[in-house]
Amino acid sequence: MAIATHGTASNYLQRAPSPSGLADVVELILDKGLVIDAYVRIAVIGIELITIDARIVIASVDTYLRFAEAVNRLDLTQTEAAGLKELRDGGGNGDGKAKGMAEGAKDALSGDGDRQKERAERG
Amino acid sequence: MTLQSPTAGGADASAATALYLYGVTWADAARPQAGAGVHEESVEAVPYRELAGLTSAVESTKVPAKRRDLLRHAEVLGTALVHGTVLPLRFGVVFENSTTLVEDFLSPRYAELVQLLRKFEGRVELSVKAYFREEAILAEVVHANPRIARLREATRAASDTSTYPLRVELGERVAAELQERTLRDRQALLDRLSRLAVDVQVDQEPIEHQVLGASFLVERERVAAFDDAMNKLAQEQAPRMHFKYLGPLAPHSFVGLSAEAG
Repeated sequence: MAIATHGTASNYLQRAPSPSGLADVVELILDKGLVIDAYVRIAVIGIELITIDARIVIASVDTYLRFAEAVNRLDLTQTEAAGLKELRDGGGNGDGKAKGMAEGAKDALSGDGDRQKERAERG
Repeated sequence: MTLQSPTAGGADASAATALYLYGVTWADAARPQAGAGVHEESVEAVPYRELAGLTSAVESTKVPAKRRDLLRHAEVLGTALVHGTVLPLRFGVVFENSTTLVEDFLSPRYAELVQLLRKFEGRVELSVKAYFREEAILAEVVHANPRIARLREATRAASDTSTYPLRVELGERVAAELQERTLRDRQALLDRLSRLAVDVQVDQEPIEHQVLGASFLVERERVAAFDDAMNKLAQEQAPRMHFKYLGPLAPHSFVGLSAEAG
């Protein structure tokens, strides 16, 4: 099978034919695949349960303070001028120039977003 | 490894008392895999009509498994996928022997397994994960939202109790912006990639900075087109996102048996 990493920089796209990290494997074969009801499953040992290295987003004051700190740590020197100008020009609707990739895609959002929000709020 | 190998004395299968099952494939596509299995046992096919279970011997039904064994399970399925369609099992299913494998699983589930193998014929799973680059996305948020920029200016100098309420507000607004961008960009990525797929499963767990975690079921002949789409996306988004792209895999995220006991 073709394993392609076109382009010069490869750090934006890690491509692998099969899972090589424990997290990928755990997700793939401990959570997914055919299960046969009531069948003996062999014990998995020696694997710390920190299998998911990713942090689940929880709406909490701790998270907010962490985000605030991260934002304050940012070095915006290269873009500061533009940012401040934008500030001086007013406009408090939060609709800035950095639109990301998906203008107009909001309409397409389904109920999943709401579900996720509720979950975050509960957390 | 600290395993005491039951095969050390050449006792091989006779020392083993149980059978580990990796997946189900067509019998004519089943290939043995020497030493590739859990505990380095060889993978053998147990045929039943035109089906075959890919199995290897294990010492008992209570054997411990280590991370290497998890990787081997995935690798055995990956190798099987090269030879044909394979239905992947979840890690850890063990039968007493080949007779019970046939009598308890392959035979009672025969029609369903054949149907699933046909359904996944010529199709593979591709797993895609996209993450925001923290600095880039936070800078984007600061620039896009004047209130956030002002709060940042107000709280930068002093992170003491006097600015505590402002820092909480700042973080809350940042979190809300991130969530909005995550949902918006997730949908945009899905719109681009789903066109090339037969089916898609999206992970809804809100993981920090993860824009998308999804598995796509793709026709083998469209994998190259999917590769191209991924490369294009990753290149376009390189300043603000990075991607993890895994596959082709057996259809782990798409297989399922009916709940009813066979």
